[in-house]
Amino acid sequence: MTLDWTIPFVLSTPWAIRALELLFALSAGIQTLEYWRMQAAMQGKGLWVWSIQRQDIPTAWIRDVLDKLFTPTMFRVLLLTRLLALLSLLVQGGNLLNIGFLFVSNLAVLIRWRGAFNGGSDFMSLVVITGLLIAQVASCFTDTEVAWRAGFWYITIQAMTSYFMSGSVKLLQPEWRNGSAMTIFLNAAIHGPLPSGHWLRKPWLATSGSWAFIVWECAAPLALLDARLALIFCLIAALFHFLVFWFFGLNRFFWAWVATFPAIVWCSGQI
Amino acid sequence: MSIYWVIAYFLVLALTLIYKTPIVRGPWLFLLRSFFPNWKFFHTVGYVPHLYARASQVSANGEHTWTAWEHLYPRTSPSFWQLFHNPHTNLGLAQQNLIDHFWADLNDAPDGSDPRSLVTYQMVAHFVQGVLKNKHPQHSHSQFELRMLLDNTTGTVHTHVMMTSPVEVLS
Repeated sequence: MTLDWTIPFVLSTPWAIRALELLFALSAGIQTLEYWRMQAAMQGKGLWVWSIQRQDIPTAWIRDVLDKLFTPTMFRVLLLTRLLALLSLLVQGGNLLNIGFLFVSNLAVLIRWRGAFNGGSDFMSLVVITGLLIAQVASCFTDTEVAWRAGFWYITIQAMTSYFMSGSVKLLQPEWRNGSAMTIFLNAAIHGPLPSGHWLRKPWLATSGSWAFIVWECAAPLALLDARLALIFCLIAALFHFLVFWFFGLNRFFWAWVATFPAIVWCSGQI
Repeated sequence: MSIYWVIAYFLVLALTLIYKTPIVRGPWLFLLRSFFPNWKFFHTVGYVPHLYARASQVSANGEHTWTAWEHLYPRTSPSFWQLFHNPHTNLGLAQQNLIDHFWADLNDAPDGSDPRSLVTYQMVAHFVQGVLKNKHPQHSHSQFELRMLLDNTTGTVHTHVMMTSPVEVLS
């Protein structure tokens, strides 16, 4: 594909909707299948037993409801129903029923993991499903184009905020500016520590890498100026998230952020 | 017109980096914190909480013979296919997140309060019991510590113990 800079590029709304639904279904499907494989850690001598965690719930009647929902059998049913809803999103597209269920069940799963399982990827997954829900609910009251505009912009603003904030807070830290933070975090990562001769142990490379990420993240809002810029931004972002997966094991971050790309490209074509 | 709204939004965001607002807390806010993301990842370098545990056997005269302290820190090897299915690594990451929350709970607890009432303490104690029982089935007691480690680019440069649990019976 070549980018023609002389004519405006706009991602069509039906294409953006379909791409968003497919990528979210893939992202949430990967997460749900992983939860399925983690059930041993939620029972017996596992770390995540509900009999202890239930004390986190401050309201008695909600605790009673969740006691029933989070029995091993009911939780399996919840995960299976989520997979069915994701399959329906994949095949048929979104509707109020499957999106509504995915939103509510997403909240239930998050509460089962004390509010977040994997931090940022949970936040971004919730952003995308909330954007899809906004579009579905608003479609009941106004025309579909306006409803999707609201959903896409909600996702895009959150995604751009995530890059901008993440870059800006690093810019304020001397350890990020001199490159040492990257080596320290990589050593402490789940795949760490870095081997003694690893190229990221070279201070000048760690500093260059840190600055490249900081500048790129802080400049993220500029991608909204043109859909072609947004496409390039998303390609770099995919590479960035892949590197984060490779070094930190955060596969869910990759898919959660990739799912926002159709909204980013669509919105950048509207300004 | 949209461009002005976008510029205004990111100017406000930049201001939030300078002006700090009070932190609002509450049990439901904690459970629903995914609605209020702060998007600050890996931003500060400093002391990081780590979990250590050990098991003991008790002699006839009541003396404990302890194993060495074991560092319960998740480590896995990368593989391309983990991009699509990665439950083991994600459980390890969640375990370390819980240790961070345990440290935060201890830090926020009033002086003199019993940490055993904390949900995070109970979860960590339960987890330690499971790990030690599996590794040392013939041992009868357990103990764990939360240590704060400060790393530089080459290794750990300082450690201090934040909390040592009482000796518990391995059940």
